[in-house]
Amino acid sequence: MSRTFSRRNLLRAASGAAIALPLLPSMRGRASAQTAETPKRFVTMYTPNGVIHEDWWPTNVKNEGEFDLSVSHAPLKAYQDRLLILGGIEMKVASTGTAPGGPHQRGIGGLFTNMTLGEGAFVDGCGRTAGWATGISVDQRIANVIGAQSPVASLQLGVRATENDVQGRISYAGPGMPLPPLATPLDVYTRVFGNFMPPSTTPDQDAARALLAQRKSVLDAVASEFSALETRLSSQDKQTLDAHLTLVRDVERRLSLGIGDCAKPDEPPTLDPVSETDMPTIANLHLDLLAIAFACDLTRVASFEISTALNRIRYPWVKSIGEGHALSHAGVSDADARLQLTARQTWHSSLIARLFDRLAIIAEGDGSVLDSTLLFWGNEVSMGTTHSHDNMPFLLGGGTWAFKTGRYLQYKGDSHGNLLVSLLNAMGVPDTTFGNPEFCTGALSGLA
Amino acid sequence: MSFRFWGISVASLLALSALGCGQSKAPPAMQNPSGGSGGMPMTGPQSCDAPSPGPAPLHPLTRFQYDNIVRDLLGDTSHPAQAFPPENEVDGYRTNYNANQANPSLVESYLTAAEAVAASAVTDRLNDVAPCADGGTTECGHAFVSSFATRAFRRPLTDAELTPLTALFDAGSMQGYAKGIELVIQAVLQSPQFLYRVDSLRSPTTESGAMVLGGYELAGRLAFSLWGSVPDQALLDSAAQGTLATPADVEREARRMLEDPRAHDIVRDFGEQWLNLSRLDGAVRSGTDVDAAKLDSALRASLTSFLDATYFSKKGTFEQLFSDDKVWVDGTLAGLYGGSEPAASGLEAQTLPDPRYGLLTQPALLTLLSHADQTAPVIRGVFVRERILCLQVAPPPPTVNAVPPDPDPNATTRERFRQHTEQEACAGCHKLIDGIGFGFERYDQLGRYRATENGLDVDESGQILATGDADLDGDFANAAEMLDRIAKSPMARDCLATNWYRYTFGRQEMPEDTCSLAQVKDRFAKSGGDLKELIVGLTQTDSFLYRPAMEAP
Repeated sequence: MSRTFSRRNLLRAASGAAIALPLLPSMRGRASAQTAETPKRFVTMYTPNGVIHEDWWPTNVKNEGEFDLSVSHAPLKAYQDRLLILGGIEMKVASTGTAPGGPHQRGIGGLFTNMTLGEGAFVDGCGRTAGWATGISVDQRIANVIGAQSPVASLQLGVRATENDVQGRISYAGPGMPLPPLATPLDVYTRVFGNFMPPSTTPDQDAARALLAQRKSVLDAVASEFSALETRLSSQDKQTLDAHLTLVRDVERRLSLGIGDCAKPDEPPTLDPVSETDMPTIANLHLDLLAIAFACDLTRVASFEISTALNRIRYPWVKSIGEGHALSHAGVSDADARLQLTARQTWHSSLIARLFDRLAIIAEGDGSVLDSTLLFWGNEVSMGTTHSHDNMPFLLGGGTWAFKTGRYLQYKGDSHGNLLVSLLNAMGVPDTTFGNPEFCTGALSGLA
Repeated sequence: MSFRFWGISVASLLALSALGCGQSKAPPAMQNPSGGSGGMPMTGPQSCDAPSPGPAPLHPLTRFQYDNIVRDLLGDTSHPAQAFPPENEVDGYRTNYNANQANPSLVESYLTAAEAVAASAVTDRLNDVAPCADGGTTECGHAFVSSFATRAFRRPLTDAELTPLTALFDAGSMQGYAKGIELVIQAVLQSPQFLYRVDSLRSPTTESGAMVLGGYELAGRLAFSLWGSVPDQALLDSAAQGTLATPADVEREARRMLEDPRAHDIVRDFGEQWLNLSRLDGAVRSGTDVDAAKLDSALRASLTSFLDATYFSKKGTFEQLFSDDKVWVDGTLAGLYGGSEPAASGLEAQTLPDPRYGLLTQPALLTLLSHADQTAPVIRGVFVRERILCLQVAPPPPTVNAVPPDPDPNATTRERFRQHTEQEACAGCHKLIDGIGFGFERYDQLGRYRATENGLDVDESGQILATGDADLDGDFANAAEMLDRIAKSPMARDCLATNWYRYTFGRQEMPEDTCSLAQVKDRFAKSGGDLKELIVGLTQTDSFLYRPAMEAP
């Protein structure tokens, strides 16, 4: 089915603050110019502290394709045929063995890496200690393959994810190398649109070319400074600088790519990254900017992190005024806590719906950008009352090119590492294992 | 009345026996970022007869340091680094070098900031930054390259370092003097000699044992440790003249630098990370109509003013830090805490009508250590044990329902938390935590004093248990008694020294730090807990004055 972009549709889809998608003949700028094939996009999404299972899994299940979405997923009703709800998967990397860390730490560290945590000094609020995850995360593995030519290799978006330790990091460039998320829409805007070459049709082109030439001469001098210093350093320090210089050259190359025919969207307002009043607006605008970045092919990979493990955050806009982690310790028997916890999940689902609404109205190829986007939503524990890692609340959504969607599948304790391999394969990364091989035996069966 | 059942399972009872409550244990050092095993837990005493410094790898600048440096070098007060991605923190400290490597966002931020800072410097302040009587000559340009880069790199440049910068000026100056200066600033601000603290440059000869640091390395360490910035001209001159070589030279400079306003910034930066004050931002507490953002920032300023005044009072001591009755209030806070309207705008030190005993009864800290609608004896107790006494607290079993009991109009908080100490499974650990936390019960979720709660007398008695310090342990009748004991506690005093050590040297302590850490604690103790002497003492350690030998390439 062919979809066309319409500003009216967008405005209808928008609720609350929104960033208008620029109206241009082609939203796809770089993508259409450079490749005949439609690019694929990938999003990891994290929300904390487990879920109320009674309100999470589908109801009225007749078979894997016939069921009603739960209250937690109600906002995704229009996209039910694009979802895969995965029951019975165990996050063995967190549940098994004697590696460091408490259940929240092990969960958030292992969720997208399938790796255990190193030794370290992070205390989990309950006294257990751990360091960072010891491997690359799946979004970064994918970005290394499909993001290599993008102006922005990947985006890390955070919504009140302001704990700067293992409990606040979901993306890893490598072992012990966590990537901090951008905290405000203005940060995202600056990163995506701040430095890039303007469209080739604008009169700024000559000035932009001059700027690039000037930047090159500066960075050549910088590279000489790296060389001059490295001869006098230890081998460990030299490695540190080698990695840094590689990034300098990478930034230079990416900044020269330009943003094609995409116009800059409106600059988002200044928002307070720790304010509970601003929190929903930050989440909305992050996703609006991500939709534009995807549509313009400025990036193909993102991680989206909503607060952190063990947080004390309230969601007053959905009348959830308990403090996140403490609230999650209450079970299904606590009716008020249950309502508050599930209201959070419903809101999280509405964010996915918001992103999908935007991607669905941007035409690309024979379909929409949503058709080429895969989102994986995970949590660091299964439920707050037990802090267990079996029957993890996992959900996939978006395009249908790789998996047979519209289904609720039941697995029997399969390792979540296998799911990560399936995600890699879906994104065109032909790896057969990911993370710790002890918790990975190959792609998850039954998805296609 | 809503009284939640705090479910306890048999499994959790069994688990509890393995928790080892009250154990004091030094946590292992952070892993090496490249995946190596990193430090091991502290082992037995080692000989400190010969200098034994901890490691001295590259430290990336923190945002705080970056902003200070561009202010000091270029007069740029725009705080460009506030747009950088946040540091990863270990022990709450952003200075931790193991946790912070370059990443794409950061490197792009370096580029953006360098271009913005350089443009502003030549547009707005060229005559201050790179003055030239003849309106801009090659001589002036080359002189600027040398002097600016020397300060930015904290040492004279080698030829290999100077040549590319000079050539860059020459190329840029084809478009005018200002352009040449601008490009040089851009390059310097993206060079590793600027972006990293480089304390170890390999000497031309074979190295072994502990290596004495040179004058420029000591100047750099002093400037970062006391100012969070680069050396001033006096430090560089001392280094050049060879009068910055001995521990006494370092001490002399440290004392001079403590008199500089920039030393106050270090105390604030440390204090904010030690106490996790960033968590105050965005906190919402019931019981006041004051806008949360306004209140949070006023409270934060109040606490940092308290710290600053205590450290820099004529004889600021550890004991004073934990006993001083002053609270800094502005108009908003005066209304909330019963102070008098300040004479001028801004904060003013006052003695409130209600009792205050130093840091732990500061309104800001008590607000931070509370739930939204009630006090948090557990959070307060854990904070004291972990952050003030450097003890580790064992985790609760995961099956415990940790939702604080709902506020109850007919009971005190202490009564609602009674289950912690009545149920055997909880009591083992919670008497260690709540026993301290209850001592703060006369301060509500905003840190306001209350003698009664819901019409009932507030019992502020409690106990300090199993710290390993006999003088600290025991029952207390009220906050005054508890805090007096902490104020006089060698364990708490040592813990502050440990925290400063972690902040200054950018790592969780390792076995190699044993001697240096002992030196800091010892000197702090002998000074009678003098807070400025603690900062001076950090510069008199093996880890400050020396570095380990490097292997040949």
